[in-house]
Amino acid sequence: MSNSKPVTLCINGRNEEINVPAHRTLLEALRDLGHVEVKRGCEKGDCGACAVLVDGVALDSCLTLAWMCEGSEITTVSGLGNAQDPHPLQTAFIDLGAAQCGYCSPGMIVAAKGFLEEVTDPTDDDIRMALSGNLCRCTGYAKILDAVKHAALLMREEGGKS
Amino acid sequence: MSREFDLHMPDSLEDALNVLSDMESTPLAGGTNLLVDVRSQRERPKRVVALGRVTGLRGISFDGEKTVVGARTTISDLLQSPEIANSGPSLIEAARVFAGQMVRNAGTVGGNIACASPAADLIPPLMSLDAEVTLAGSSGNRTVALADYYQGYKQDIRRPDELITRISWAQLPRNSVNMFYKLARRKGDAITVTSVAVTLSMSNGKCAGARIALGAVAPCVVRAKEPEQLLEGQILSETLIADAAEQAAAQCNPIDDVRASAVYRRHCVQVLVGRLLLQAWNRLA
Amino acid sequence: MTCVDYPDQTAPNVKRSQIGKPLPRTDAPGKVFGSTRFAGDHTMPGMLHMCVVRANVASAILVALDVEKARALKGVVEILTAADMPTPDVQEEISGQDRTNGADTESPILAAERIRYYGEPLALIAAESRDIAEQARQLVEFELKPVRGVYDPLEAMKPGAPVIQGNSNIVAERKIRKGDAAAALENADFIIENTFRTPFQEHAFLEPEAGLAWVDENDVVNIRVCTQDIAHFRAIADAIGVPHNKVRIRGALVGGGFGGKEDCTLEKFLAVMARKTGRPVRLEYSREDSFVGHGKRHPLILRYKTGVMKDGTICGLDVEIIADSGAYLYLSPYVLLYAAVASPGPYRIDNLNVRARAVATNNMYTSAFRGYGAMQACAAYEQQMEEVAKVLEMDPIEFRRLNYLRTGDPVATGFVPPGAIWTEQCVDLAWKAIGGRAKPAQGPVKIGRGIAAYQQSYGRLSFLDDSSEAWVGVELDGTVIVRSGVADIGAGQVSALCQIAAEILGVSLDKVTVYSTDSAVTPMSGRTAATRTLYMTGNATKKAAEAIRTRLTHRAAQAFDVRQDEIEMADGTVAAKSNPGLSMSLGALAKICRDEGISRTELAMFHQTMQDNLDPETGQGQAHPDYVYGAHAVEVSVDTETGEVCVLRSIAAHDIGQCINRAAVEGQIEGGAQNGQGFALSEEMLYEEGRLITPSLSEYLMPTSMDMPRVESIILESRSGIGPFGAKGIGEPAITPVAPAVANAIADAIGVRVYQMPITPERIVNALAQKRQSAGQMS
Repeated sequence: MSNSKPVTLCINGRNEEINVPAHRTLLEALRDLGHVEVKRGCEKGDCGACAVLVDGVALDSCLTLAWMCEGSEITTVSGLGNAQDPHPLQTAFIDLGAAQCGYCSPGMIVAAKGFLEEVTDPTDDDIRMALSGNLCRCTGYAKILDAVKHAALLMREEGGKS
Repeated sequence: MSREFDLHMPDSLEDALNVLSDMESTPLAGGTNLLVDVRSQRERPKRVVALGRVTGLRGISFDGEKTVVGARTTISDLLQSPEIANSGPSLIEAARVFAGQMVRNAGTVGGNIACASPAADLIPPLMSLDAEVTLAGSSGNRTVALADYYQGYKQDIRRPDELITRISWAQLPRNSVNMFYKLARRKGDAITVTSVAVTLSMSNGKCAGARIALGAVAPCVVRAKEPEQLLEGQILSETLIADAAEQAAAQCNPIDDVRASAVYRRHCVQVLVGRLLLQAWNRLA
Repeated sequence: MTCVDYPDQTAPNVKRSQIGKPLPRTDAPGKVFGSTRFAGDHTMPGMLHMCVVRANVASAILVALDVEKARALKGVVEILTAADMPTPDVQEEISGQDRTNGADTESPILAAERIRYYGEPLALIAAESRDIAEQARQLVEFELKPVRGVYDPLEAMKPGAPVIQGNSNIVAERKIRKGDAAAALENADFIIENTFRTPFQEHAFLEPEAGLAWVDENDVVNIRVCTQDIAHFRAIADAIGVPHNKVRIRGALVGGGFGGKEDCTLEKFLAVMARKTGRPVRLEYSREDSFVGHGKRHPLILRYKTGVMKDGTICGLDVEIIADSGAYLYLSPYVLLYAAVASPGPYRIDNLNVRARAVATNNMYTSAFRGYGAMQACAAYEQQMEEVAKVLEMDPIEFRRLNYLRTGDPVATGFVPPGAIWTEQCVDLAWKAIGGRAKPAQGPVKIGRGIAAYQQSYGRLSFLDDSSEAWVGVELDGTVIVRSGVADIGAGQVSALCQIAAEILGVSLDKVTVYSTDSAVTPMSGRTAATRTLYMTGNATKKAAEAIRTRLTHRAAQAFDVRQDEIEMADGTVAAKSNPGLSMSLGALAKICRDEGISRTELAMFHQTMQDNLDPETGQGQAHPDYVYGAHAVEVSVDTETGEVCVLRSIAAHDIGQCINRAAVEGQIEGGAQNGQGFALSEEMLYEEGRLITPSLSEYLMPTSMDMPRVESIILESRSGIGPFGAKGIGEPAITPVAPAVANAIADAIGVRVYQMPITPERIVNALAQKRQSAGQMS
């Protein structure tokens, strides 16, 4: 690749370097770096499976160029929490059965996280609007709606976990 | 390979315009259209100028006369802006049904204008506000009415060395209503089948001004100027509004595609124009 | 969520600590923390990247295929065409299929000469990187000479139509005859005839097909892939010309299947390339590849002719079904049979004549999809029931009530299902739950309500072999292991097995670990399809766990010196009921068994007794082991000027026999409601001369979060099913009645029916215009 260059990406709080050409998307770069929790669903912004937070804002990583992300904080679903220290959204998705096949879950949770930064006490319709770019084929969105609502409550109680 | 391109990431407008002055570079704003087109190879840019780091292009302000929106302002920015809610309520309605959250976070006002799609959701509202587009180029700036910006399907008057830098519109007259409706095949994250934006203002019980903009029913977003003229200066009645709606439908030029037929689109123009005008007038009265 | 207890429910046969509760699934944490590895998430050192070259017209002769330019590209390692396929003539046997028409319509791995559908694979590329593979794809040159194709099944049945393969385009035919339908229709007070059409539907699972294959040190081809059926290893071995024990499928948690990953998708491509190159190879489909890479739901044309008496009795029914089978056979004969068996619905019809034919065209091939033909039939019969009630001027629910099948009645094939038939209860509860109209009709927006009842089988066709095995073991610390070949496609299939083992062995769910979906090391349990997994593998798991329980309680009874039925297993403890002082941990008991050579593991098989095929002329016999019954009710608003529909309420009532995991059951119902609503309103794969013109998820429109109402689930438990604890199933039933309920609600709202799904705004506007026109002509 004639126009490849090394870029440093800060992913879930750690700097990682990857040599990529200009047209390489953040999705491809993240997956090549082993962050396969970021899912590839359509590569054109129709499904939201690849959503990550870039400086706290949810973006489709398939529509974001890796080069443009140098200097930004990138957060994937694995950066939000883990089994030892789960994010309230993750707890709520488990407890309320919001993950079925689970392929949309990483993007769905990230999109919900980005949205709950702005709206801390959302209505059903707020949540529906925030998640309309995240397709799910298994759940009918009902339990996802419940989980996001419940997580918002947990987050308000915790005073907002970052 | 064919999807490859050179990428410039200038920090300033001046640098961006410098790169664009080669006349064969493609500006990249939110990327939600261009990168999709690159992937499908509908677009094969040699050189891409990413505007993400250019300062001074993002923000919403009121300069005393006009609302000014920087071209890099995102759709989400619009949704959160009290200024927009006040000065261009139809834009909020359009932003609410604009794709999904991630695309709203990335997609920009300038990008939506520049993609020049007849189905671009922000254009009918902006046209109904008489918005103007400011272009900066190596040879200087110019400001043109959005209504004169498009020349055909995906054709606009921007020269390759120019960038859209801002969109602005004057405050609506005191007694005005500005509305938008998007008809699509589903509610969330949908491509427009037909959209309509209207502005009506009233003075002394009469229609002082009318703007009707139609999306996805012609090669580009269009104003329905004859129906506008029909209404201006009149006391609006249901009959007059119906006539205007019929005229709008007669004058648009839709096509058949996977989403809907031309016949249905024309029918919907008539329904929606009539409906929005009536609602707007009733709110004014 | 409501659980209705009917007095005739049998008592639970064990004390329930697990079963029926809404428990977090065992697979949930990995999915929300991002640690679950799906098939496409695996890589290997030295692996190659594959892509597939596909035909860009639907009907053609492949005149020339030149891969030399592509092969010359630096980094391209191998390119394979049909000439390189090891056993091009291997045909998968479709048992029960009538091949009298000579239609030999199995699909080749790669097309050699004749292109029969748009997207048919022509060549496989393996390269050092994705970019190079993609670049090579564009360098492959091929010349296609278009051949007249046929894209409409009705056209394809006419004399002189191009024949896709063999002697005839009619590739499968099924008949059901009972009584004398013709005579009954002659004597009917009213005859109501309507034709209904359903669209191509795409599964649109979020995970596009992906896999990784390599040849290991034992010369075994390992394929890590997302599939609903790991038993395909045999067909793959046949296709690449190796013994069956030289192919191993290591499945993964599947990112949605719905029938779309039931046939082989990219496994054969991977296997043949891994063998040819000797290197690991990886193939990930793009969304565009996925859309042309697996079969769609069969579009059906269903003509219903119903004869009724004035008192509301259905005296005769004549049904004709035409299914578009597309370019290749796949599972069409079975899907067609499901449609035929289901076509009278959950109603008693003594004089019945069903003729169903599957017709080859140059459209995308069609195969399995949740509901499997029965769902399309329901979309027709439940609309027809409403139309008949309208002619009779009867309340549609009361009309149904006069004709319901009830427990103990035979279905269309003459078979009496062993389980309960609670259609009536489900319809009444769903309709009661929907209550009065939400708001009075106002302006151009009208409110409508509709209901639909259904019958959907669970378990595989009775004339096909079906067995399922599961292994259960108790570890020395009291934890439990379950091993089974089950592919979990997102519905919680493996978690349900864990719950069953946990219930029987008296441990909490977090003490159970499951190993699944590996054709070499987990016991084979059949495909995750046909709503069979809980029934078949659930029974096998229960059987295995019970055998262990019997041995363990026997030993514990000895230790405590009490009768064996005095022993209780709960919360990881084994105790005597009569004397709480007598207890030990399950781990301690396991150690005693180890020391004494008492086995703590069991491999059990559940086998479904194989029946004769149905009578070819009358269709009489046993088609399925049992059926699920239920109903769905919907309330909509319809804008009569623009045709826009909003689903306001969606209420499901299903008798699922017995809940295993209540949250998972609700999840299936809610997802089915979405999938069915999309089928009714917005989802349609559109083809123009066979070419897909809706190739993305922005053109193929499944419902988003903004399109879905909350779904209310009413779960009835007759405990009459033949699955574990009296369970039936819910995977397919969840979708079956949804679309006709939506259609009936729309017809109720606007006073006219749209006979073709999806019921788009445009079709609604057109139907209303026609209605106005004909009203104008009449006056």
